[in-house]
Amino acid sequence: MLAYLVRRLILAILTTWAVSVLAYVVIELPPGDYITSYIAQMSSSGSFVSAQEAEALRQQYGLDQPLYIQYLRWMGMVLQGNFGMALEYGRPVKEVIGDRLWLTMVVSVGAIIFTWFVALPIGIYSAVRQYSVGDYIATFVGFIGLAVPSFMLALILMYFGFTMFNANIGGLFSDEMAEAPWSLAKAWDLTMHLPLPALILGFAGTAQLIRIMRANLLDELGKPYVVTARARGLSEARLILKYPVRVALNPFASTIGYLLPYVVSGSIIVSLVLSLPTVGPLLLKALVAQDMFLAGTIVLLLGVMTVIGTFLSDLLLMWIDPRIRFEGKQ
Amino acid sequence: MAKKRTGVTRREFLQQAALASGAMALTGLAPTAVLAGQAGEQKIGSQLIGKLEGPSLILDPAKFPTKFSEAPMLAELVKAGKLPPVDKRIPEEPMVVKPVHSIGRYGGTWRRGFTGPGDSENGNRIVSTDKILFWDYTGTKVMPCIAKDYKVSDDGKVVTIFLRKGMKWSDGQPFTADDFVFWYEDIYLNKDIQPTPNPDFMVNGKPGRLTKRDEYTVMFEFPEANYLFVDILAGSTAMGGGQATQQHNGRTMGAYMPAHYLKQFHPKYVAKDELDKKAKAMGFDGWVSLIKNRWDWRLNPELPVVGPWKTVTPINTPTWTMERNPYYYGIDSEGNQLPYIDKITMALAENLEVLNLRAIAGGYDLQERHTALSKLPVFLENRGKGNYDVRLDPALNGSDATLQINNTYEADAEIAKWIHTREFRRALSLGIDRDQLNETFWLGVGTAGSVAPSESMPYSPGPEWRKKWSTYNPKQANEFLDKLGLAKKDGEGYRLRTDGKGRIRLELLTAAGSFIPHTQICEMIKQQWKKIGIDADVKEIERNLFFTRINNNEHQIAVWLNDGTEVLYLFPRHALPVDTVEALLGPQIARWYASGGTQGKEPKDPQLKKALELFRSAAGKKPQERYKIAQEIWKIMVDEQFSIGTVGQSPAAMGVRIVSKKLGNIPARQVNAQHARTPCSSHPATFYYKA
Repeated sequence: MLAYLVRRLILAILTTWAVSVLAYVVIELPPGDYITSYIAQMSSSGSFVSAQEAEALRQQYGLDQPLYIQYLRWMGMVLQGNFGMALEYGRPVKEVIGDRLWLTMVVSVGAIIFTWFVALPIGIYSAVRQYSVGDYIATFVGFIGLAVPSFMLALILMYFGFTMFNANIGGLFSDEMAEAPWSLAKAWDLTMHLPLPALILGFAGTAQLIRIMRANLLDELGKPYVVTARARGLSEARLILKYPVRVALNPFASTIGYLLPYVVSGSIIVSLVLSLPTVGPLLLKALVAQDMFLAGTIVLLLGVMTVIGTFLSDLLLMWIDPRIRFEGKQ
Repeated sequence: MAKKRTGVTRREFLQQAALASGAMALTGLAPTAVLAGQAGEQKIGSQLIGKLEGPSLILDPAKFPTKFSEAPMLAELVKAGKLPPVDKRIPEEPMVVKPVHSIGRYGGTWRRGFTGPGDSENGNRIVSTDKILFWDYTGTKVMPCIAKDYKVSDDGKVVTIFLRKGMKWSDGQPFTADDFVFWYEDIYLNKDIQPTPNPDFMVNGKPGRLTKRDEYTVMFEFPEANYLFVDILAGSTAMGGGQATQQHNGRTMGAYMPAHYLKQFHPKYVAKDELDKKAKAMGFDGWVSLIKNRWDWRLNPELPVVGPWKTVTPINTPTWTMERNPYYYGIDSEGNQLPYIDKITMALAENLEVLNLRAIAGGYDLQERHTALSKLPVFLENRGKGNYDVRLDPALNGSDATLQINNTYEADAEIAKWIHTREFRRALSLGIDRDQLNETFWLGVGTAGSVAPSESMPYSPGPEWRKKWSTYNPKQANEFLDKLGLAKKDGEGYRLRTDGKGRIRLELLTAAGSFIPHTQICEMIKQQWKKIGIDADVKEIERNLFFTRINNNEHQIAVWLNDGTEVLYLFPRHALPVDTVEALLGPQIARWYASGGTQGKEPKDPQLKKALELFRSAAGKKPQERYKIAQEIWKIMVDEQFSIGTVGQSPAAMGVRIVSKKLGNIPARQVNAQHARTPCSSHPATFYYKA
């Protein structure tokens, strides 16, 4: 077990390093740099930068140096726990991401809880009562959820919210609370704003989970051990939850690896549409502005989260599925 | 749209949903569906364009008010002994502004939207009375600003500016000529901060000097006549652009800086090691980054400024807020210190759709930025509910979608030959139905025609040049093309290349996500060109890539706005290939021009070369002669069609103004131009909340 953990750890570090190189290269691949993007931005906002100024800025940010030197400089800083300055923000990357990180987590965790609470029971129900009216309704709603792009749903809900309920548009706080220091009132304000984004973000995932759960459980329901258990007179609820559901949960455990990066970045497009102050839009803007330190750090963070998440889901799988556990021992 | 109705029909809803998602959807459909529904109401926006008006400055000291008053929030501070009384805070010779409609009331918070730390101009433009000289509300006459007056020597080599006696920074310290000297000697001449001199402070490639004559007099001296320098000080330029704009995001110009504050971050006054250590501790890589951060008004609330408002919470947070500068040097004509409005809050919108929806919901008190012309029908429908008015401010530039021909294109020799032929370009221009474009994309409020600037500008060559080669005449276009030897067509009616390699296909390069829907406009032009047998490929690419391709000389025709060209000498890059940063008309020529002929390529076309020579000769000329030269240049550009204009003088860029009905002193129409720093030419310091 210990040898397994150590091997996984070394692999994880190597993967993270590879992610950092790839992230840097991929972000650098498009032509131009932060200064080109700044020039374009100024030009389209009715102002301008002269060639001389552009050159001076390039020198200041070290953008005139070869790519590998820029990367090594960045890595050198990262290893000391310093992620550099976010160019557009004029603030350390750590602070810029930190500001948004926990709000992102609140929204994402909200969405995940919504998804699980809705999807698991419905999934179990529609498997056990296959082809019943309830199953058809759940399936129908599920497919709509899959088919409607969540940004479209966000736009429509926002429009109805505005025309019918005069709700304020986007964001996680009302205007008067956005600036206020933290208090119970502000926390309540956040709670009131949370359901809409959580619902929109969770909806698509819900449909998917319902289908996965249903299919997995259907596979298990016909197996001899279920028949045996039933023959021995176990109550139906206990029987379903204790045996086939546990087996059907495997795919959930193995996708936790992808949930962690989702928790820290959120959904980019929906966050953009709903104007949520989360990490997703930050990443998009950093990529558009070619802000290497900011974009690189977020991608690195996502990479690390995926690595950790995969590791956790492996452990979890071992815990819930004895078959994997015993294979490991042999 | 004018009808009063509470419900929403399905059709309307779909239209609005399509509008709202327009920019999100990658294809970005044109709002033709909406327009089709309003075919009966032509020129929907023309009744929204009011009379050009604005506040004026009182320049005669005899008419200056002698009694002063101030905002209640400041009066309290004075009472508490925390602030000197108002007559000690304003200069002996303040800037006296006569508001456009009436004397205002103090108080209120101006709510706006912004899109993040890249949206600096959103705030920079509001505080732009930190400029040395400025323009009147028409954008044509140079007016005093922080300099109460200026003088140009007869030989044009010295421009002297006179500062306001007793003027103070926002922290109460005196604002004097020393702040100019500090900028010049310690910032501009410091090679670590400013590696290369700035062309705005040069004449014909020779650097200028800045000297102090006395406490309140500063002289700019040049080795050759530089009459243009007055316009440079008034324009949105590196020298005259003001503290906020020229000293944000690492920029180093602006001609003055708060010396008393910045000396603590400068190695001439504090040991460099100590500064570097301090910088590292704050997360910067060295002292240069630190001082640049400290002089950025958007990021540093401690920075002394001279504009009407100063930053309280910086731009890199979810709400950028500003509050009044208690030492602002402007008063109204009855002696009330400006600004009237206490505070400005800009709320972060992660994308433009949310910003526009919030504007529709009445979430902003005054917003002319990021509000899209294509959403005008939705703005109008909700104006009662959101308690706002909509005003349109047409711009002064000739063409919002300009087909800029690359005069140094060479990758495809045959295409190069044709686009470098005058008759071919004229034919392309005559093949464009500008009225159709105007109705579809500008809701009929733009003006169709060439690239020449508005006739209200002294640089305009005259009304006949608006139409020259710039009307829809496919018959004449076809004649031109036939005569050029391009009469052979394929089965679908497209003209064939002379080298036997199929059709003539022109590539129109557009940038994704630009403010004007250039891609969709070009798709329509492509359809229109079918009638003259010319095929085109519209290629939309990401904005960075767009400029990179242009700089690499890869484009045939690039489409962009020609904003700023109405003041040709201050911002020529969208009119002439003289600037290497955005050289749409030929990057090689721009390199040749900027390097004084040592790099790049000389233009082959004698007319283009003539235009560039004319342009170079202008800086040393007095205003009237300069205007004449500009008119000559425009005549060449229109006659030769180096840039093909379509529709311009429109409110599409920063001209759709959402104004709360609660606000007063809002001009019916304001000048919409880069050099006028719109909305600053309307003196936002005089805006106020009625009751």
